[in-house]
Amino acid sequence: MQPYELSVAAAADAIRARKLSPVELVDSVLDRVEKVEPSLGAYVTVTAEEARRSAREAEHDIAAGVRPHGSLHGVPMGLKDLIDVAGAATTAGSRVRAAHRAEADSTVAARLTAAGAILVGKTHTHEFAYGLTTPQTKNAWDRDRVAGGSSGGSAVAVAAGAATFALGTDTGGSIRVPSALNGVVGLKPTYGLVPRHGVTSLSWSLDHVGPITRTVEDAALVLTVLAGHDPRDPASLATSVTDYRPGGDTDLTGLRVGVPRNYYFDHVAPDVETAVRHAIGHLESLGARLVEVEIPMTRYIQATHWGLMVPEATAYHERTLRTVPELYQADVRVLLEAGELMPAGDHLRAQRARTLMRQDWARLLEEADVIAAPTVPATAVPSDQSTLTWPDGTVEGVSDAYVRLSAPANITGVPSLSVPVGHDTNGLPIGMQLLGRPFGEPVLLRVGHAYERTRPVRPVATV
Amino acid sequence: MSAAGLTPPEVARWADRAGLPLPADRHVAVAATANHIHSVVAVLRELDFGDTPPAAAYRVGEGYDDAAV
Repeated sequence: MQPYELSVAAAADAIRARKLSPVELVDSVLDRVEKVEPSLGAYVTVTAEEARRSAREAEHDIAAGVRPHGSLHGVPMGLKDLIDVAGAATTAGSRVRAAHRAEADSTVAARLTAAGAILVGKTHTHEFAYGLTTPQTKNAWDRDRVAGGSSGGSAVAVAAGAATFALGTDTGGSIRVPSALNGVVGLKPTYGLVPRHGVTSLSWSLDHVGPITRTVEDAALVLTVLAGHDPRDPASLATSVTDYRPGGDTDLTGLRVGVPRNYYFDHVAPDVETAVRHAIGHLESLGARLVEVEIPMTRYIQATHWGLMVPEATAYHERTLRTVPELYQADVRVLLEAGELMPAGDHLRAQRARTLMRQDWARLLEEADVIAAPTVPATAVPSDQSTLTWPDGTVEGVSDAYVRLSAPANITGVPSLSVPVGHDTNGLPIGMQLLGRPFGEPVLLRVGHAYERTRPVRPVATV
Repeated sequence: MSAAGLTPPEVARWADRAGLPLPADRHVAVAATANHIHSVVAVLRELDFGDTPPAAAYRVGEGYDDAAV
């Protein structure tokens, strides 16, 4: 096994035990970046020189007997290019930001740096996170297929071993969708758990920041560093310091796993449904009790999501949409322009529907400790494919399909963890999401970790 | 807005009222997208909200007796 293949947990442990130096690890990941980047395009910028300098400093700290200063000491990471790093451009995947320079670190970048993580580069995003494919980046398992989005660069970098972990953002599935499509783990935390200060917004009331990793344990390690109150994010919640790293126990006796009887298995590809139901069966074999649950207000999910996101996104771009509209990509520009025409009444209806949906989901999550469902209804589609046709003749846009099963967790703010659970007949990864109560991350991580520990180890993508 | 949706000239007028003058070559594309968005969100008009307040800003744990599990 090469250092770039190590999980965050294994790499951090090896560095702590002085079996691996940060220089070896960073060099290995940068070599991997050099090898895979020409075919995958995961990164906007690679900060090789700074990463090597940081690695030498981290190694020096260890050699000098200075205790490793954080849980991620020497571990290389990629940050989605919506996340501010002092002195670097936050391009947001857009020509609109061509001259941008971040004056200060975002909260999450500062916390990761303080924990010892080393930035390898900024990863591609669908322009301003307003899309589900990330056209700049190729799927890690098939270059002719979409990476998913909007955190496509982050998911592909992690899947290919070009980052030991990465951060994404998620407004309608943008962490979980590319994670599922590239066979890695993605966690959308509870709304307000991870501060968004210094992270470019798509839609304030739906935006989340979270980790993309190769294992559930890694997601827990990174979340432990990220979580915690920051008054500069108005949605940030006061929470106690928590170590999210799950224990080794794989016994799920007593845990109630909700299996949706509606919505989450409607218009889902047969391979996806089979793999997710098989994984749910595996949770049952670990002791969990399966309970059938009814997902509330499904007719209003897309309407509520759009009624919130469309006007919020347009409001964020108000100034530049008037001064430099030609710099936006066509798909994003037209959405932002059309967002100007949504009446306030529609936006308020969406906010009131969110109130009702949150109340109904609170009742739903009294019936089950976690809900298990597909993350996305289909695997990665060919890059030139714009729609999916379901057996009943329904035609659905690819982006609409990829958002469909993710949006409820953004509207209600509940946490959702996407875990790889197999492949379709083309060898493309399939993801299962575990949804829980607000601040139920420890339960999701425990269940995901138990699943992972009792399944074969997944390799990085061979590119 | 009629059930038939906004026409490109109506889009031009609405956008102007919103403070976003649109060049003529944008009217057709924006009308199509705006009408599609409208068709999606209009379904919310079926709901009887009663006294339900909007969740413009909210604390996610409200309504959960045992949020931490």
